[in-house]
Amino acid sequence: MSAAANSSRQQTEAAEAFAGWLQGLSGGAAVDATSSGTAQDWLAAERQQAAERVRAQAVPTGKSESWRYTGLRSLIDQGFVQVDESLTALTPDDIEEILVPGLDAHRAVLVNGRYSEALSDLGTLPRGVRVGSLQRMIESDPDALQGVLTRIAGEGSHLFASLNTAAMQDGLVLLLERGALLERPIEVIHLSVGMEEPRVAQPRHLISLGDGAQAQVIERYVSLGDALYCTNSVLELSLGRDALLKHARVQQESPNAFHITGLYLSQDANSHYAGVNIGLGGTWARTDLVTRFSGEHAECDLQGLYLAGDKQLIDYHMDVRHGLPNCSSRERFKGILYGKGRAVFDGLVYVARDAQKTDAAMSNRNLILSANAEVDTKPQLEIYADDVKCSHGTTVGQIEPEMLFYLRSRGISASLARRMLCLGFAGEIIEALGPEALRDYVTEQVGERLERAPLD
Amino acid sequence: MLSVKGLKATVGDKEILRGLDLEVGPGEVHAIMGPNGSGKSTFAHVLSGREGYEVTAGSAKLDGTDLFELDPEERARLGLFLAFQYPVELPGVNNMYFLKAALNAIRKSRGEDELDAVSFMRLMKEKLKVLHLDDSLLKRPVNFGFSGGEKKRNEIFQMAMLEPKLAILDETDSGLDIDALRIVADGVNALRSPERSMIVVTHYQRLLDYIEPDYVHVLAKGQIIRSGGKELALELEEKGYGWIVDGEAA
Ligand SMILES: Nc1ncnc2c1ncn2[C@@H]1O[C@H](COP(=O)(O)OP(=O)(O)O)[C@@H](O)[C@H]1O
Ligand SMILES: [Mg+2]
Repeated sequence: MSAAANSSRQQTEAAEAFAGWLQGLSGGAAVDATSSGTAQDWLAAERQQAAERVRAQAVPTGKSESWRYTGLRSLIDQGFVQVDESLTALTPDDIEEILVPGLDAHRAVLVNGRYSEALSDLGTLPRGVRVGSLQRMIESDPDALQGVLTRIAGEGSHLFASLNTAAMQDGLVLLLERGALLERPIEVIHLSVGMEEPRVAQPRHLISLGDGAQAQVIERYVSLGDALYCTNSVLELSLGRDALLKHARVQQESPNAFHITGLYLSQDANSHYAGVNIGLGGTWARTDLVTRFSGEHAECDLQGLYLAGDKQLIDYHMDVRHGLPNCSSRERFKGILYGKGRAVFDGLVYVARDAQKTDAAMSNRNLILSANAEVDTKPQLEIYADDVKCSHGTTVGQIEPEMLFYLRSRGISASLARRMLCLGFAGEIIEALGPEALRDYVTEQVGERLERAPLD
Repeated sequence: MLSVKGLKATVGDKEILRGLDLEVGPGEVHAIMGPNGSGKSTFAHVLSGREGYEVTAGSAKLDGTDLFELDPEERARLGLFLAFQYPVELPGVNNMYFLKAALNAIRKSRGEDELDAVSFMRLMKEKLKVLHLDDSLLKRPVNFGFSGGEKKRNEIFQMAMLEPKLAILDETDSGLDIDALRIVADGVNALRSPERSMIVVTHYQRLLDYIEPDYVHVLAKGQIIRSGGKELALELEEKGYGWIVDGEAA
């Protein structure tokens, strides 16, 4: 057999294996959903459709562009199975070690994708703010979810998001009524704990801010130990008119974790979204950030910092679509790669013909500390309007020798000097995280990784 | 204190230092003057261990320790300090954090405890005042967005904080107006002591009106071709370098 035929046979086999695996993950859950009640017919229908989309959607292969960099074989080979039971054995003492020292926040905790009443510490929530379990809310008040849940990520969602829709069971819901104000931040801890067999959790989260509502949300993806597992999560975000959301996301999962997140954001007029994504953990971490505007003068600010070392692939995809005039978007991502680390930055800003006065800027800067590290950076602007302000730029560079020498000439060791320069590079993104306790914590997390990083 | 013998150094295949000798005793201030491109900065860089230069002959010892055996940070911990001709901007690296890391690294190598936060602050404020630098400088990234004068004063401020045994000031006067020059010179003079030696590299005699050297050397084409007292600087100011350099070549 020729090499080409051989490789195409392998492709087909991989695709079949993947399709089989996907159906295993979506099928059972969809049945579960239809049997769980009658009030949520709309939801059952959505899930059914999503399950069908999963079956119909072409399996992403090495050839399909948005999956070009993230080979799926390693994911399939793990033989992940769906998590069905909830873990109740953990006590607040068990999660002490993963907390951010000194962070003052309302705290919601999910374990392997399920909301944990026992571990959450919400304190007193202001009027007009609801926080809790998605599953509970589907059972008790599904009307509150209708028109939002599955609607934002609905059309155009990628395969994993469809899979999530078909299979979701629980997750976090945060609802702010019109004008509600959440002054203290709310911290959402997504904790994963290893199980005997490798499991996949598919939590679904929803954050919805009514007109003029304001909140600060800190999401953290953490693990206990070096567990091997997969998380396929979807977060739908809806911002009403004039709403303001500051959103910090820190992914610091186990070095063996597979992490897939789709974040779907819908912004109404004059709303402001400021997201900061920190990607530190996992062996295979893919994040899709998808933004749509439903009103003018909305602002979307996406910033990020990623670190990848040996056995790590960190993969960010952005899809910001300006369909209306007068909105602005900014993507500013920075990466530090060391060892054999790999990263992908794939950002698309699309400006439709009618989206005049769009202001869009995209930048991706990378610092490469070793010859074996690699980054694929691909910022794309697709512009069909003629009166816009759009820019993009990327850099891939190394530490400047004279900067290193300057520090060393003051008695600072080469390794600390390198770390100081990397933290200096990362600093402006970490600054944007908000609370000082969180900034200090992330600085420390980044510093620790750099300290362990091989020097070439 | 510093003993340099027969030092030769190349950049690429270009020989820049061609047999340089210099002896600096404790507490002495030596001025090195010379035309542009004569190798003054190269000499300073080679002593402090910057990459990109190859020492092909000779030696440099600080209190008997061979400098060329040491990494740049080890030389600094031994008490060598270079005030850069072109201080490097370090975006994102906080000035105060930087100074603390440097001071603690040096103290640690001397077997001293790290300074506590209060003493560190007090020390910094005191030294800032001498150099007429604003406290706000501490919160800014190292040299980033500093004016030319601020950068030079920041170098001397670092020197004041780190209290080296031997300081090399590489054209610290260039780009300073007369007021800034006086401030820098006051800062330097405040650090003169019987235990601390200095090599003041300058193109002009002007600085030496404020920092009085014990010895003046002329560096040309990679060698010290003339040494003398401070009156040599005045002679150079008057006649330029031509008469010595050409005289030597002839
Ligand atoms: N990194 C370098 N690469 C090539 N040539 C250099 C380098 N650094 C210095 N030189 C050359 O060495 C000579 C001496 O330079 P330098 O030491 O900077 O002189 P000075 O400080 O006396 O003005 C000059 O001819 C300069 O061009
Ligand atoms: Mg010079």
